[in-house]
Amino acid sequence: MMDTTQKKEALKGIKQKMVVGHHQEAFDSLVTLSNPDDDFILQTKYASFYNSIAGHLLVLKKIRVAILASSTTTHFIDVLKFWLAQEGFSAEIYESEYSTVHQSILDPQSQLYAFNPDIVFFFSSYRDIKCDLPPGSSEMQVENTIHAAVNECVSLWQVLRQKSNAHIIQCNADLPYLRIFGNYETTPVWGQTNILRQYNLNLAKALEPGVSILDLDFLASIYGRRKWHDSRFWYHSKHAFALDAIGLVAHELAKTMGAIKGTAKKCLVLDLDNTLWGGVIADDGLDGILLGSGADGEAFVDFQRYVLKLKERGIILAVCSKNEEETAKEVFLKHPDMVLKLEDIVIFKANWKDKASNIKEIAEVLNIGLDAIVFIDDNPVERELVKSNLPVVSVPEMPVDPSGYIDAVTSCSFFETVSFSDEDSIRSHYYRSNIERAEFQNQFTDLSGYLKSLEMEMIVDAFDEFHLPRIAQLINKSNQFHLTTTRYSEGEIASIQNNKDQKGLYFKLKDRFGDNGLISAVILHKQSDASLYIDTWVMSCRVLSRGVEEFICTEIISLAKEQKCLKVIGKYIPTAKNKLVAELYGRLNFKMVKNEEGITHWELLLNKDTPSFNPYIKKITNSTMTSEV
Amino acid sequence: MIDARSELKERLNKVFRDVFDDDSIEVVDAMTAKDIPEWDSLMHVILVVAVEKEFKIRLNAAEVGQLKNVGEMLNLIEKYSSR
Repeated sequence: MMDTTQKKEALKGIKQKMVVGHHQEAFDSLVTLSNPDDDFILQTKYASFYNSIAGHLLVLKKIRVAILASSTTTHFIDVLKFWLAQEGFSAEIYESEYSTVHQSILDPQSQLYAFNPDIVFFFSSYRDIKCDLPPGSSEMQVENTIHAAVNECVSLWQVLRQKSNAHIIQCNADLPYLRIFGNYETTPVWGQTNILRQYNLNLAKALEPGVSILDLDFLASIYGRRKWHDSRFWYHSKHAFALDAIGLVAHELAKTMGAIKGTAKKCLVLDLDNTLWGGVIADDGLDGILLGSGADGEAFVDFQRYVLKLKERGIILAVCSKNEEETAKEVFLKHPDMVLKLEDIVIFKANWKDKASNIKEIAEVLNIGLDAIVFIDDNPVERELVKSNLPVVSVPEMPVDPSGYIDAVTSCSFFETVSFSDEDSIRSHYYRSNIERAEFQNQFTDLSGYLKSLEMEMIVDAFDEFHLPRIAQLINKSNQFHLTTTRYSEGEIASIQNNKDQKGLYFKLKDRFGDNGLISAVILHKQSDASLYIDTWVMSCRVLSRGVEEFICTEIISLAKEQKCLKVIGKYIPTAKNKLVAELYGRLNFKMVKNEEGITHWELLLNKDTPSFNPYIKKITNSTMTSEV
Repeated sequence: MIDARSELKERLNKVFRDVFDDDSIEVVDAMTAKDIPEWDSLMHVILVVAVEKEFKIRLNAAEVGQLKNVGEMLNLIEKYSSR
């Protein structure tokens, strides 16, 4: 790791690249150089370097962020832009005038609404929370005060959400380190520390779809609470926390925004020797590797426990190791201290090919983007090879000491999320049964025989509250099977049901290998010219090539007919990732009517000749399900 | 003997050049924000933090606001460094 002086030297080199116009290269070097823990001076340097090349970086997606704060945020915003760029976003930021949070939300004519943000960040600190009670206050007084303070937030969210579709991020209270009663603060209900802790818990309970919390209190604690509250710069210029923590906060906020917009990682690819256990299995043998006992052995067990917890929350695990497959698998089967089992690993690559090719194959089999992959390897040579061949794969630096492995991965915040659904907890199972399906398919010589034998059943229903988190997740995380690039917050999706000219449908697929979960969602707009426009169509790539697209198309057609529409209209907006569906409408017998610089418009006229597809999937509605019970 | 104040000034000059990203800056005691176009209230915060880090000192809130020219800055640095 470089120190601050070395990093300042490195910045001079990056400046040279900027001067000669190598903007992307300069940005990539900034990404490699920067760390959330770097001090304020370095962060402002990164921000100003980024600011001068931002216009030349083509791959960034636009995002509009409004920051509503009761403290000074100008430096923070510059630094945030740099960290958002690392998430792939070019941010346009609206900053409320100092201390005008309420006005900008309550006034429908305010610049906030004119700005039309994708995300609104309520940047508050403990100073904004009116929870000061005299010592000895009753439990009832405490409860009422906390309730009122939480309600103040909730009512602002509600007003905002009536007028805007933005996703909201709300800070919780960073506990102060001043404690009038010292350690006793934490004992009575009226203690200020206790009140703020309860406030934080109640704030989380009051969350609505489309609102997430940024855990400012956690950031204060990992930074060091005493340093975090640097009151000098509060008195001087209303900076709410220590300037040197600016990178830490900006990084975490950027990751949270990335999670909202679907840029979080999906798959962890793991090396084996010296990554999951100490030593080399081929040389040291089952009883020679370090796992279970001894300091290193315990650290490796703990790292495996951490990885297993990631799997349980929906991260797919794969292995990529230079080993004989049988030797490597033997550890999983026979070592008593292995926490990870073979069934936790969706794809197991133990061979002698280069790791970049293996990782590419893993991405292909799983049907996920390379940018959704994190690769963990103790060997710097392997890391470098993957980084240089597959620059979009995330490859964290790993320390030599295995007791630092967990921290090396967690400090990168790869797996931030703003929701958790049933689908997440059994995602690994979905991918495993897909691989079983592929093996099963090999027994068939014709596709239709295979599809028939899958015994597929599909539940089709209108969007409802219960499925909202998963629908939002699917729309916001899908990149490959997503025709129009739309991203909607839970709030926006919920409002579809109240619009008589819009309809949202979700699809859940089951087959002989088990439940595939909620795998597709469509949003349809009935237009005044008696056409039905497919605003959004997303589908999990897990279920490709099984006639699901045809089934869904048939559903759209029958809905269009029911609505007395004369045609169905679809659009394809090309991105770097959705080539997969460029010809989808063509395959479904739509006619291309317009091509505007790659954006293609398609229509399907509805008449008696309109084809219907797919005899392989049986439709089940939720009502028929209930009648079966 | 090297003059302690000019040694501090030399180090302060380096901080200025670094913060304002301008290698032509030569600080003199009378220099104020008016002499450096980029020296606004935002850059002032960065400058103060950079000075604190270079000289390993910690100014109080009032002093942060008072640093109007290079001479005053040097006085403060001297005051804290001699402790």
